[in-house]
Amino acid sequence: MLHCLKYSIAVLLLIAGFFGGVVQAEHTNNWAVLVSTSRFWFNYRHMANVLSMYRTVKRLGIPDSQIILMLSDDVACNSRNLFPGSVFNNQDHAIDLYGESVEVDYRGYEVTVENFIRLLTDRWSEDQPKSKRLLTDEKSNIFIYMTGHGGDDFLKFQDAEEIASEDIADAFEQMHQKNRYNEIFFMVDTCQANTMYSKFYSPNILAVGSSEIDESSFSHHSDVEIGVAVIDRFTYYSLDFLEQIEKNSTLTLQDLFDSYTFEKVHSHVGVRTDLYNRDPKEVLITDFFANVQNVVPDNDVEKQYAIGSGDNDTFVQNILNLALERTAEENQAVHSSSQNSKKPLLIKTESFIRESGIRSEGDYKSRLFAASIIAISIISIFISQSKGSHRVQRELYQQ
Amino acid sequence: MWDGNLRKYVGLCFLACYFLLGVPLWYKLTNIYRAPLPVEYIKSLHENKFQDVHLVIPVYIKSDTYRFPDIHNAVQIQVNHLLNSKKQYVGWSLQVLAYESLNATEIKYSDNEYHVVSLVLDDFVGYSVAYDAKETTVFYNDEAMVNNDIPFYVAQSLVEHTFALEYNQLGSDLSTHGDSMVITYNPNMHLSISLLSGDGLPVAWEIESTLQRYFTPFREFMAPLVNFTVDTNIVYFNDLNLHMLKDHDSVTSQELSHTVDLSELSSMNYLSDSGALNLAIVFPSNITTPSGFKFINSTSNSSRISDDWQSFIVPQWGNIIINRNPLPPNALLKESYLTPIMYQFATDVFQLLGLTKGSQDLSSPFVTIDSFKRLTILRNINKAEETLWSLVKLTQSFQQMSIPQDVLKNATEALDLRLKIIDMLNDPNLGGDLVWNEALSLSNKLVKSSETAFFHGEMVQQNFFPQEHRIAVYLPLLGPTSVVIFFGFIKLLKEKPVEDTSEKQEKEVIKQDGNDQLED
Repeated sequence: MLHCLKYSIAVLLLIAGFFGGVVQAEHTNNWAVLVSTSRFWFNYRHMANVLSMYRTVKRLGIPDSQIILMLSDDVACNSRNLFPGSVFNNQDHAIDLYGESVEVDYRGYEVTVENFIRLLTDRWSEDQPKSKRLLTDEKSNIFIYMTGHGGDDFLKFQDAEEIASEDIADAFEQMHQKNRYNEIFFMVDTCQANTMYSKFYSPNILAVGSSEIDESSFSHHSDVEIGVAVIDRFTYYSLDFLEQIEKNSTLTLQDLFDSYTFEKVHSHVGVRTDLYNRDPKEVLITDFFANVQNVVPDNDVEKQYAIGSGDNDTFVQNILNLALERTAEENQAVHSSSQNSKKPLLIKTESFIRESGIRSEGDYKSRLFAASIIAISIISIFISQSKGSHRVQRELYQQ
Repeated sequence: MWDGNLRKYVGLCFLACYFLLGVPLWYKLTNIYRAPLPVEYIKSLHENKFQDVHLVIPVYIKSDTYRFPDIHNAVQIQVNHLLNSKKQYVGWSLQVLAYESLNATEIKYSDNEYHVVSLVLDDFVGYSVAYDAKETTVFYNDEAMVNNDIPFYVAQSLVEHTFALEYNQLGSDLSTHGDSMVITYNPNMHLSISLLSGDGLPVAWEIESTLQRYFTPFREFMAPLVNFTVDTNIVYFNDLNLHMLKDHDSVTSQELSHTVDLSELSSMNYLSDSGALNLAIVFPSNITTPSGFKFINSTSNSSRISDDWQSFIVPQWGNIIINRNPLPPNALLKESYLTPIMYQFATDVFQLLGLTKGSQDLSSPFVTIDSFKRLTILRNINKAEETLWSLVKLTQSFQQMSIPQDVLKNATEALDLRLKIIDMLNDPNLGGDLVWNEALSLSNKLVKSSETAFFHGEMVQQNFFPQEHRIAVYLPLLGPTSVVIFFGFIKLLKEKPVEDTSEKQEKEVIKQDGNDQLED
């Protein structure tokens, strides 16, 4: 019976979707989590991958406060870097990915499995700065990009530890439990990448990986001057597609998926849509890679309120006028209460003056007394000194 | 004989230590601590969220012209009838009382205002909700009085109009909040006011005096609901990317959405525990946009800057004021320019906080704020219950996750706070401003306690520690100890026959010696 009900609801929803046309996005803010799990100079391309994604989402309007960037950050200033302070993703060196302001949230040995899981689940100690937290809500669309060296169901973190696909799946479930996302778009560029999303079980997650199980992901090209590969194939062609996107673009995620071919990527790109409610054909690229803020025109009527209230005494219904009136009345009430209590205050002042007058009289007497004592003591000292001197003289004469 | 037994006893002692001391110690030290959460209680709360809530709002009724000694009882019956006719998701009712029973010391500005209904004899029947007080005036005529219709009119005015927010929203699930305009409620809200100039020419503004004069009263007015903090700044060489639209005579909101770049105006990260709203006043650049933004309609023929701006709301973010003309060099923005913007912003803040749907919807702010407080209290209770339920589900599905004592403490604290708030809401003798404010404050604490429990920092550590890793860690440690103890003990057990044979051999040697002696 319950199953029948479920099926009928599903059919109804399908029909509603069909007649309703394109499903509207429900998010109001966008976040990006970009992770390079490798370190060392020979993994230059992973840093370039993630910095390229950073540049793209920033170009499309996601503010730095809503981008979490995790990378070992050890190539720009590496002694082997022929272009110190620069990172390039192409041998033409057209774009310096490190040139503009790059805000790395987790660098070096901070890029750990624990920190990544903590970031997703937002379980931190109290002193964790807000800029290093994923402060999403039920209206947030999150783009998560990971790159590094991986294998069947795992991704290495800096040659020290691994994250399993179950861990990410469980972290997403915790996020889902606490309504911490509207939709997640998970993109991973690593060997056997498609295994990384195989264990996901939470709803509203769309995932894409660069290569299937037992298949490697490849780098795109090496730079002779830099001496290592500068970008991976999957990321290269993703960026190639994303470069044509502007905030007003109508291209969809399906267009992005269609752009991946085996000839380009040299591996089988996988897409997982079974957890995702919407058809990728209806999902704009900008739903995840950009931050498109709705701007609603306001009416101009409030101007006259202010002008009206300033020129004459007529009360115009505006909340600010109400607040002003309220404050004025309260002030008046306070003023009148202070007026009422003025008399005792005056009395107190008078009594204080009288007391102080008495006190000053007393002071005068005591000062006079003290001065007379000092004077007497000085005179007595003089007298005693004069007597002493005579005695000395007498003694001298006696010798 | 004695040596052999001693060795066995020692071996047995080692084995006993291994099992009786080592194993329990190992179990104790490696056991994941899971504090016993009140799972069943939280589950029952989730299944029937507002089972123990019955919100009671006291309303005092007074009549200046005639004396109606039993009007409050009659209105109470009608109100109950009206409320019972609609399904209530959260139980609520009005407690209608005679105005005379209100304590005489409760004056209008005593911070503890109650809702009052005034009955006024007039030529027609109608109602009016006061703009500047918590008061509903019901007009009645002689005919209505003769027909005994006044109680019904009063009940209808109260339930369907004055307390319309409660009437409409408490009938449905509180968790669904469909308005994408509204920022998530936070008792602490930071307001960032920015003046943006497209170029680098010096500019000054009288923001301090304007804020003192207009925003401080507004802050005080809103204080029971939201605690505002404010910062101001001037940003040069930033026109929010609007110069891209300089040639447009008119723009759609979609074009604006695709052009406006607010990424540099996000201050939320600098504030530890508050939501953020923004007000950005934008002027075009004299260099890139000398003729100004043509899409901003000029409201007057004069070229005064003060009239040529338009306000836009960015959902969940704040307001943008776009000025048509660029600023002249060394400009000073006076209070007269900033005042209308403050008026506009104050109205929009109500929309952004979710108090009103449209800017003209706020016909009775006092009553609306009061209702908003009550609904926020209930939403907070709902949110905290959801959080605790998520915590329970989480801990049940991840058996390897530890549950520290602090989590239990926070969860218990949240449940106690919930009961305390509900006692306040249910008490028909309470219901003034002070009570709603205190209940709101407690409900904010309730949300915080539940979220502190859910987001406890230690609840992540064991999560990604697979079983095979545990074996990999323990095997090198326990393996050698176990091997030595077990095989040593087995060897001891096997030693017994060896000892017997040696004794036999000794006996045989003695016997042989004896024989030898005999032979000798």
